[in-house]
Amino acid sequence: MSKVIVVTSGKGGVGKTTTSASISTGLAQKGNKVCVIDFDVGLRNLDLIMGCERRVVYDFVNVVQGEASLKQALIKDKRVPNLFILAASQTRDKDALTQEGVEKVIEDLKADGFDYIVCDSPAGIEKGAQLALYFADEAIIVTNPEVSSVRDSDRILGILQAKSRRAEQGEEPIIEHLVLTRYNPGRVDSGEMMAADDVIELLSVKLLGVVPESEDVLNASNSGEPVIMDEESKAAQAYKDIVDRFLGEEKEHRFLTAEKKSLLKKLFGK
Amino acid sequence: MPLSVALRWWYSLKRHTLMAKKIIDLKGSILSFTVLKLYNDNIDETKQALADKIAKAADFFIGIPIVLEPQVELKNPTYLALLIEYLRQLQMIPIGIRSEDPAIQEQAEFAGLALFPKETSKKKMPKEIEDKPVQAAAPQPVEEGLASAMRVARAVRSGQQIYAKNRDLIIMGSVNPGSEVIADGNVFVFGKVMGKVIAGSSGAEDARIYAKQLNPELVCIAGVYLLAEDIDDVYKQSFVEISLNNDKLVFNNKILD
Ligand SMILES: Nc1ncnc2c1ncn2[C@@H]1O[C@H](COP(=O)(O)OP(=O)(O)O)[C@@H](O)[C@H]1O
Ligand SMILES: [Mg+2]
Repeated sequence: MSKVIVVTSGKGGVGKTTTSASISTGLAQKGNKVCVIDFDVGLRNLDLIMGCERRVVYDFVNVVQGEASLKQALIKDKRVPNLFILAASQTRDKDALTQEGVEKVIEDLKADGFDYIVCDSPAGIEKGAQLALYFADEAIIVTNPEVSSVRDSDRILGILQAKSRRAEQGEEPIIEHLVLTRYNPGRVDSGEMMAADDVIELLSVKLLGVVPESEDVLNASNSGEPVIMDEESKAAQAYKDIVDRFLGEEKEHRFLTAEKKSLLKKLFGK
Repeated sequence: MPLSVALRWWYSLKRHTLMAKKIIDLKGSILSFTVLKLYNDNIDETKQALADKIAKAADFFIGIPIVLEPQVELKNPTYLALLIEYLRQLQMIPIGIRSEDPAIQEQAEFAGLALFPKETSKKKMPKEIEDKPVQAAAPQPVEEGLASAMRVARAVRSGQQIYAKNRDLIIMGSVNPGSEVIADGNVFVFGKVMGKVIAGSSGAEDARIYAKQLNPELVCIAGVYLLAEDIDDVYKQSFVEISLNNDKLVFNNKILD
């Protein structure tokens, strides 16, 4: 059974694309057949983060508009088997995606035997974001520990519950998961950022995982490799945990408290 | 109340389109308005005070009908005109004035404002069942009265608005920042209130608000409202009841003790 997952947030720049890339890669590494779709038409950066921007010939819009077949547009990942990318168009405008067109692509991917179809949503709560979440079975809500990000996530949760296909057809609701990212326990302790518990309480969504603020994320995207592949990185470990929990494994949450530096580490500045 | 007014307009419009033939209906006063009491006739100070008040919930005030109620003599003859202009700039709609002072009444007429009587007739919620005399005769068809409560079994999220027309409203989850819950009757919230809560939105002054925990953007009963900053912190800690008494919101955090 294929599952459609939307990665959404309301606010921009919170880590949706980073999360989509790492979760898709992680799910594929576990042996699933995965397609990750960039719904951010006009901006297109999933392909950069996945390191396949030079191999984009046809994109999602071309397929939706019937200008290319799905086969032509799917880009096979070079590192992980069973992982495919459907890039967004850089040149088209937002209205190029239609609901019928998107539905056809998703149905075709399901028929092709994809286990997971991951939809990387654009920012906002308007048409583009609504289209990205419309066909979802599960939603990953990406939030930063700050008031405006949480508020926007709350808003998008309201839309998931009201304007998705599942809601409109009165089916079982979309399963919601919370990913709290760019988390910096030090800044939480000093009161600059919201604590994880407060975010969870306000949104009343189950926590899938916390991703710490980490320079490795920027380095990874500069080198065109999803951060989950940077084995040493805390962010990678966080995303691996997230994938495991998503697949049903029980794992204790990490990265919630500030690391206590040992005297030795302090001395050597590491 | 802006929301209730808007909603009622909408409902009356809908009624009109449904009912054949009838062209208009002139009904008694069913609306409640926001009253702006003026304790000072210095226009600059008044403007500043308004600006400060509104900064906290600007959206809430857009398009709301306002009735002015001067509590002092208005010595400055341009005060009313300047105030009206300022209210319009803020997108509020000054519609009338409540005053017994003939000088003010004259200024109001000049400014095109309606004159309101000092005390408007109060609208009551239907009496509680115990109060009803035992009826021997066949029951009358129910025209008025509250239907059973509307129940919302989840959190109300930012951007969402819930309106319980002619009845009570029960919210099982929280009322999140940026959301609004409105009822013509009472409002009960079993979660935390962090958005706006409006009870008695058609003017029922005996409507009440109950909340497990209250840290709202605004609470309002029958048009009388308070913003978060005006609410004492002791009422933001635990279960609280809010009622309306002599045009003032009264908070009680001891009713479960
Ligand atoms: N855990 C993290 N630590 C540090 N920077 C991050 C983290 N997650 C994302 N970023 C940075 O935040 C920016 C926005 O991330 P992106 O995934 O493109 O967000 P969105 O898709 O929501 O707009 C990027 O510069 C990215 O490198
Ligand atoms: Mg993005």
